[in-house]
Amino acid sequence: MTARRKSPSKPLKKTLPLLILAGPGLLYFLINSYFPMFGVFIAFKDVNYAKGIFGSDWIGFKNFTFLFQTSDAWIMTRNTLLYNLAFIALGTVVSIIIAILMSELLNKLYSKLFMTGLILPNLISMIVLSLLVFAFLNADSGFVNHSILRPLGLPEINWYSEAKYWPYLLVLIQIWKTAGYGSIVYFASIAGIDKSIYESAKIDGAGKLKQIRMITLPLLKPTIIVLVLMSMGRIFNSDFGLFYQVPMNSGALYSTTQTIDTYVYRALMQLNDIGMSAAAGLYQSLVGFALVLTVNAIVKKVNPENALF
Amino acid sequence: MKNKGLGSLLLSMVICGSLLSACGGNSNTSSKNSGDTEAKAKVAEIVFALPSFNRIPDDLSKVTEAINAITTAKIGVKVDFRLFGPADYAQKVNLALQSGEKMDVFTTLGQFSNYVSKSQVAPLEELLPEHGKELTAILDKDFGPDILKTTTMDGHIYGIPVNKGMALPTNIIYNADMLAEAGVAADSIQSVEDLPAVFGAVKQKLPDVVPFGPINVNPTDTGLVNWMKGASKVDYLTDTTGVGVVIGDNGKVVNFYESDVFKNGIQMMRDWFDAGYLQKDTATTTITAMEMVSSGRGFSFLGGYSGMEVGKQLSAQVGKNIETKRIAPFYFDTSAVNSVTWMVSSTSKETEAAVKFLNLLYTDKELINTILFGIEGEDYLKVDEHHVKFPEGMDANTVPYTAMLSSGIVGSESLQYQLEGIDWSDVELKLKENKDTARSPYFGFIFDQGQVKTQISAVNNVVSQFLPALVSGSVDPETIIPKFISALKDAGAEAIIDSKQQQLDAWLAAQKQ
Repeated sequence: MTARRKSPSKPLKKTLPLLILAGPGLLYFLINSYFPMFGVFIAFKDVNYAKGIFGSDWIGFKNFTFLFQTSDAWIMTRNTLLYNLAFIALGTVVSIIIAILMSELLNKLYSKLFMTGLILPNLISMIVLSLLVFAFLNADSGFVNHSILRPLGLPEINWYSEAKYWPYLLVLIQIWKTAGYGSIVYFASIAGIDKSIYESAKIDGAGKLKQIRMITLPLLKPTIIVLVLMSMGRIFNSDFGLFYQVPMNSGALYSTTQTIDTYVYRALMQLNDIGMSAAAGLYQSLVGFALVLTVNAIVKKVNPENALF
Repeated sequence: MKNKGLGSLLLSMVICGSLLSACGGNSNTSSKNSGDTEAKAKVAEIVFALPSFNRIPDDLSKVTEAINAITTAKIGVKVDFRLFGPADYAQKVNLALQSGEKMDVFTTLGQFSNYVSKSQVAPLEELLPEHGKELTAILDKDFGPDILKTTTMDGHIYGIPVNKGMALPTNIIYNADMLAEAGVAADSIQSVEDLPAVFGAVKQKLPDVVPFGPINVNPTDTGLVNWMKGASKVDYLTDTTGVGVVIGDNGKVVNFYESDVFKNGIQMMRDWFDAGYLQKDTATTTITAMEMVSSGRGFSFLGGYSGMEVGKQLSAQVGKNIETKRIAPFYFDTSAVNSVTWMVSSTSKETEAAVKFLNLLYTDKELINTILFGIEGEDYLKVDEHHVKFPEGMDANTVPYTAMLSSGIVGSESLQYQLEGIDWSDVELKLKENKDTARSPYFGFIFDQGQVKTQISAVNNVVSQFLPALVSGSVDPETIIPKFISALKDAGAEAIIDSKQQQLDAWLAAQKQ
């Protein structure tokens, strides 16, 4: 990824196998990402089934107004942004630490074992996870209240009605769930680093920490930038399961668990209005798109080598 | 839904749906062609979707054949019969409607004005006098002449409410064994005021049992809110938010959450909560009251049930000795009647056949019971005029076909067979109560949400934020209710109230003419 070679245009014969390889992927994107884009216009329509989707009236930006209707608009935007920033920043740091520790582990068997253990949380569904969390935090019989706070004589906490704990809980849960999986790419990048660089560093008398600081991290930089850039595009989206299921949809927690996705879900549950849902989706995607472009432009300015495009 | 915007998901569904429907259209025409060759007489084909709360059988062909034998002979209509579980039903129907798939007759499950405001359903007033005469007659006879008012908007009749026990008085449902153990006589429970004493006695005798079960299964449909509606004559005026209601008959639309009725009800629940009659986490628990009672951890809960045989049915269901006591009357507002309504899709090409079929669905004993119970001798055995039982050695889960747990939804309850052991007088009582129960003076008014869609979506959010904690008594009403009200104002509650008042005034003026 670091070294880019400029090659003259190759004849089709050479690229054909590659094109065939890419075929299924391209088809997937075409069907799942590009075809649905034509539906974007629904966001600007007052959908009326008697007239049909194409015949319905245009209503400009009216479908978007419900997103900004209440004082909650600020809260949900703030939550969405801050949580995602925390996930990106902390997630990246924790993933890199895991990857480095794994790569320093010389015993292959242990390394495989730990890796599997770390990836496991990623395979648990959010519903199951929410029940696990519930088993810990439930007011009456939860592990934390029942087996830690009560025996220690500390006051019990009603977790599902105290909003202030949830920013920490949600970040912790998300990192626990995703960091192991996220570390795979970094692990692979580290494995791809030329071993002779480390050897020469060792000969020059560099310790483990110095090697990590001077060799591993700089060489990981492009990977980090690409992954961060990609997650930037989703910064206005949130994992519905994490923010809706895990706090058990508790009203008392909305001030710290409400995100744009959960707001849209709750607001439109009864209305069942596809125009408004489309508007919300479009808004999130456009902001994400703009953010990717901005961050990429910044990266390009600072270090053109590392920019995504 | 993980990692995917709700919007983009819906969009892709629409697109995929329209692709699929293109295929579906082809197969429909081909089957029609083959039908035409054998019978020159015009046989219309309609799709009929029924929700079932029981096991969905793999093979419906036999029952579908039996249904078709009746319908083709009597009205010249062929029925493509679909059966969906309650969780799937709305989704499957919506998807079919949105993608233009064939879907002619379906039921609303509480979304009446939603379907109408998006023009998803066809007006029926021109077809009913010709093809639905008997249907209208039987509704008039069983409920009263004004029932179709609840499905009429701007002069168009959009649906046919099901003809079943619609009055659902609030009951306290309790474990009779525990009540006896606590040394309380069942007769001492007459109203909600008698409950704290009972709960206290239960709590003292059985400290491990939760006296009053969680009521927050669905924030807008808690036992508490329904109790308040019935006891204080509150008309929600057809949307579920509760910010625009009329209490009593003064014609003034007010915010229910600002009323004394609401405050007193919440205070009562708060007192119960403080006394330890509810669980600490009632506001967030996902365990239903029924589960609490059947596991033996709960003593009672509130619920709306018609008839007097509920205790028997629930006892069989939860495996405990359950009894019920009515503690508040029911109050008919529009949504109480039109929440389960049969509708004809606006995209249907066979509206005439659909209405003919609906007519039969309310009046033909044979058709109704074939749909509910299947084929006589195979799926059920006749006991007497009104009662049936399962064939030897079979139960609801092992008979080849059963949809009977949707009973009530199919046409007229008075024409349905009942399972052996259910007292027939209960069906008669339900019909009587349909006529006798108090009706709101705004019965028939339907709120058109179109103008304030944005505000309603925002208000929904505020309600789901505050209401569960309030109705479960787990927060202090003194401080939370004012916050709730100001958040509602922020979200545009005033606009909803104004819009409703305007429409209600116009409706009242039109009624006088």
